[in-house]
Amino acid sequence: MQPPTDTLAPPDLNFDSEVGDSASTVENPTVGIDQSVGDFTYDVKYAFDAGSGLNEGVIRYISDVKKEASWILDFRLKAYQTFLEKPMPTHWATKDLENIDFNKIRYYLSQGQKPKRTWDEVPDDIKRTFERLGIPEQERKFLAGVEAQFDSEAAYSNVKDIVAKQGVIFCNSTEALREHPEIFRKWFGKVIPTGDNKFSALNSAVFSGGSFIYVPKGVKVAMPLQAYFRINAENFGQFERTLIIADEGAEVTYMEGCTAPKFSTSTLHSAVVELVALKGAKIQYITVQNWAPNVFNLVTKRAIAMEDAEVKWIDCNIGSRLTMKYPGVILKGKRARGEVISIALANDGQHQDTGAKMIHAADDTTSVIVAKSISVGQGRSTYRGVVHIPKHLKGCKNNTECDALLINTNSRTDTYPAIVVRGDTHAVQHEASVSKVSEDMIFYMQQRGLTEAQAMSLAVNGFVNDLVRQFPMEYSVELKRLIDLEMEGSVG
Amino acid sequence: MPTLEIRDLFVALAATPDKPIVKGLNLTIRTGEVHAIMGPNGTGKSTLSKAIAGHPDYVITSGDVLLGGKSILEMEADERARAGLFLAFQYPSEIPGVSIANFLRAAVQARLAEGEEIDATAYYKRLYSKMDLLKIDRKFTSRSVNEGFSGGEKKRCEILQMAMLEPTFSLMDETDSGLDIDALRIVAEGVNLMRGEKLGVLLITHYQRLLDYIVPDFVHVMYDGRIVKSGDKTLALELEAKGYDWVKQELALSASAAVATA
Amino acid sequence: MSAPALSTTPAEGFTSTRFAQHLSQRAYLPAWWLEAKKAAWNQFNALPLPSRTDENWRFSDLKGLDLSGFTVPEDHSQKIPNHSGFAQAAEIVFSNRQVVARSHVSAELSSKGVIFAPLDEALRQHGDLVRTYFQKHPANLGSAKFVALNTALTVAGGFLYVPADVEVDLPFVIQHTLTGNNVSVFPHTIVVLGPRAKATVVEFFVSGGSSSVTASTLARSAPAAERQLVSGVNDLHAAEGAQLTYVGAQRWSRETLAFQINSIAVERDARVLSLNLHLGGRQSRHESHSRLLGPGAHSEMLSLTVADGDREFDQRTLQTHISPHTTSNLLYKNALLDTAKTIFSGLIIVEPDAQKTDAYQKNRNLMLSDTAEAHSLPGLEIQANDVKCSHGSTSARIDAEQEFYLQARGINPTEARRLLVSAFFEEVLNKLENEDLHASLTALIADQFKK
Repeated sequence: MQPPTDTLAPPDLNFDSEVGDSASTVENPTVGIDQSVGDFTYDVKYAFDAGSGLNEGVIRYISDVKKEASWILDFRLKAYQTFLEKPMPTHWATKDLENIDFNKIRYYLSQGQKPKRTWDEVPDDIKRTFERLGIPEQERKFLAGVEAQFDSEAAYSNVKDIVAKQGVIFCNSTEALREHPEIFRKWFGKVIPTGDNKFSALNSAVFSGGSFIYVPKGVKVAMPLQAYFRINAENFGQFERTLIIADEGAEVTYMEGCTAPKFSTSTLHSAVVELVALKGAKIQYITVQNWAPNVFNLVTKRAIAMEDAEVKWIDCNIGSRLTMKYPGVILKGKRARGEVISIALANDGQHQDTGAKMIHAADDTTSVIVAKSISVGQGRSTYRGVVHIPKHLKGCKNNTECDALLINTNSRTDTYPAIVVRGDTHAVQHEASVSKVSEDMIFYMQQRGLTEAQAMSLAVNGFVNDLVRQFPMEYSVELKRLIDLEMEGSVG
Repeated sequence: MPTLEIRDLFVALAATPDKPIVKGLNLTIRTGEVHAIMGPNGTGKSTLSKAIAGHPDYVITSGDVLLGGKSILEMEADERARAGLFLAFQYPSEIPGVSIANFLRAAVQARLAEGEEIDATAYYKRLYSKMDLLKIDRKFTSRSVNEGFSGGEKKRCEILQMAMLEPTFSLMDETDSGLDIDALRIVAEGVNLMRGEKLGVLLITHYQRLLDYIVPDFVHVMYDGRIVKSGDKTLALELEAKGYDWVKQELALSASAAVATA
Repeated sequence: MSAPALSTTPAEGFTSTRFAQHLSQRAYLPAWWLEAKKAAWNQFNALPLPSRTDENWRFSDLKGLDLSGFTVPEDHSQKIPNHSGFAQAAEIVFSNRQVVARSHVSAELSSKGVIFAPLDEALRQHGDLVRTYFQKHPANLGSAKFVALNTALTVAGGFLYVPADVEVDLPFVIQHTLTGNNVSVFPHTIVVLGPRAKATVVEFFVSGGSSSVTASTLARSAPAAERQLVSGVNDLHAAEGAQLTYVGAQRWSRETLAFQINSIAVERDARVLSLNLHLGGRQSRHESHSRLLGPGAHSEMLSLTVADGDREFDQRTLQTHISPHTTSNLLYKNALLDTAKTIFSGLIIVEPDAQKTDAYQKNRNLMLSDTAEAHSLPGLEIQANDVKCSHGSTSARIDAEQEFYLQARGINPTEARRLLVSAFFEEVLNKLENEDLHASLTALIADQFKK
């Protein structure tokens, strides 16, 4: 398949046949990691394929396939220029970023159909993926709505009637910008400007999929809305775009899960997530990602919180080759509150470079950051934080706690907070510590009959327990299981 | 009837294997029996219990420990525990974030056969009945293991674990240390409730007062790495009355007598 | 020993001609030294000024790094220094690079092999010793260009050598004063303690020609607003079991651009306490890099800053744990007034072999004005797992409850505030064993608040 030029490529020529039906065909050189949950691929026929590499033609192709308004194409093309101009942030970030080959990545793959409202309508090859990941079952049990994205587009999108009747909009980015521009255009790209960083610019140029949510004034969505992001194809770049607007006094919890199978070549996931919590609104955004160890996961997440609004990011990063993600809150209205709860687990060959940004922009705003990381084997976890309290504000508070747990002698952790405080009416506090699991604690547990590995797993689960308790039950169980899997092979 | 046999045991710190702390100790405990080892500080009592449990800081340089006739020296600490050995720690570790209920559940699960899942309802039923027996508040189970516990709470937590894991032999290392008399009584009641044909107990203590509450079948005096005197519960009283210097003097006398006869 | 007298008309700026002149005037010094100066001069010219993407200069005012128009003064202040203050082992006083006063170490110390001399003299008489320790462990915090400038042009500086097992109780004092507009100075002090030796070194840095630093003289002659440039460097070495206390106190003029680069090397079981007091300058950058080189080594890194006016204090630190079983403790306290700005950027690095490291780092900013600005970047890079490492940073105003408590006891608000600020600094000053020194620094700080 040649990269498309200015014209729309014929839809019937694209057939992705490189990927085998089972995980067994894919070699996994990394020891001690079981990504078995997500490590499978199915042979899928893609109707639309933008080919490998990035140029203006690819962007026009994506926009064409989506039948977008011209302002969106303009937005994309401008973002592409910004992407080209922006340097890699390697003066502070890891040089591993230079290993991303933008020419090898496939920027758009889809079957070209609208997302289905029932699982029965979802094509079998995609449906079995999500069934294996347990999505339909979770939906039945405890979710208000689900969107399931497969590579570039959502395959399934449904919101329960009771929620739809309240006026809640929950759909993908293409549909949202086409059907509800009056709601979404106002905030689209406003919380995170295109030029925020090289990868937000890339996303803005080629974005596809993601969730756009609007919760009307005063509506409190009782059950969580969930999106599941699945990468299926090798060398693929997933660039979903999420925008959640909670109108005055509205409340919503959104959860996302992410997986990809293991490939020997690298995959790129680069999302942009914008949250808008209007006066008195509450948004809780929960991420549990379990990326395969070949994924570059470079995500920009930011929220704006108006007067008395509350935004809470719960961000749990497991897997990937490199994750760079610093969820932020711009505390724009008085008494707004922002919170980031971050858990990161870096195993051999992985670098979790995560943290938080709290930008205070109004009086009496409060922010809280609690970050816990675990480094296993030669894994490296890095915390980066920004707390910014500029001039002329009164009564702002920040409390930051970072705790790192190092499992093996060659595990690594870094902490790089940056705190700016102007004025004498604020209280800002940052504490960080590094520790290991004590030998006495392991012996104590062994004496009760647990193996060293079980003891280690229990200690690690205990280390993050106070944070995991804030997760919905189903997710905390899942997280515990993922940690157990990651801890296997870490001892002895 | 199962036995725990300690045969001519020599134990040293792993860091200094040429300096033995336990020096040729012999002792056999049968289930149904309660033995007490008494002795002055620094005589190797705690070293003995940790070495039997398989603590990595200690190395057994010679001798053997047999559980039900089989040597346990090649076993990892957790294997020894699953084989029926329980150590009640003098200073139990704190495990932040891990609740007692979850911890015990993992320990009970570890004793089940591969593929066998714990029956959660039955587990909690049993846990609560043991707690009622030991007069422990149910709220206790949701607290992190030993974290922020008082000395008495820690020891009760040890006894609760012992009750749940039902060991064949329990080594109780200075279980009385740091306890006021009420806490001591509660702990002792717990042990007495579990006493019986299926359990052998080795009480390690510096003071006689614990033995007022848990009356031992046998009392041994440990000095300089070995057992130098054994008897029944009256030995403990005699020791209390005369002090450890009495043992030292007796030892010196018998040593000079030995020299004289030689 | 002062440099030979030269033309009193200084050359303009840091030109090659001026540097050649500087070298030719010092032909009597060892060849290796002159070569080192040449290499440094070339390095200074080759290195770019810090740029916006340089992480070591994050939040710094890069526009303030203007080196143009400065000259190297050849004449010194006519004021005769007035020896006073606390009891000293010996003192060297520099005025505009030249030694203007000096007291020698006692015959007893001298017979034990203690050397305390201006750098020029030490280079001539103990060249090999100086060579061994000069920039043996250069600090690695972003100021290579300014360190090179120091090496190229340094004249003023002290050299202290205390041999094995010699303990000196009284402090050695080195004083640098700078007078004049558009003048610059490049102090370089080297301190070497042999195994189990013990000594205290106090270095004062002041503008305005007052060459004796006591609280009273400083109070009387507030620094004048002369534009000045300082790039100071020191090399502190503590051999096995040695105990070094180093105090550096600066009160440059309010138009001074100042760099001070500390390098601290701590060997097995040695202990170094360094305390830097920052009061003056327009833009004052201080870098301090401790290396823990042997088991049992400990570095105590302390700093106190009174940031008032529109000054910028830029502090960068590194605690590098190279050997296992080493400890370090950093406490940097800043009191911020007016529109002052402080930057604390500290990093603990635990290298892979440095198991059993115990390292701590704390930055506390006391916000005393609604327009002051504190930046705090406490960092950790840990590559060994069996370690105890933590850091903390707080930026807050005086505790309102404490303030009220004092007022409730009848103390007026101004006095209450003054008491609480001095209590804030006392935690650091308390770590000084020498009470005279403690009192002297307390007085300096109090004086800064009186203005």
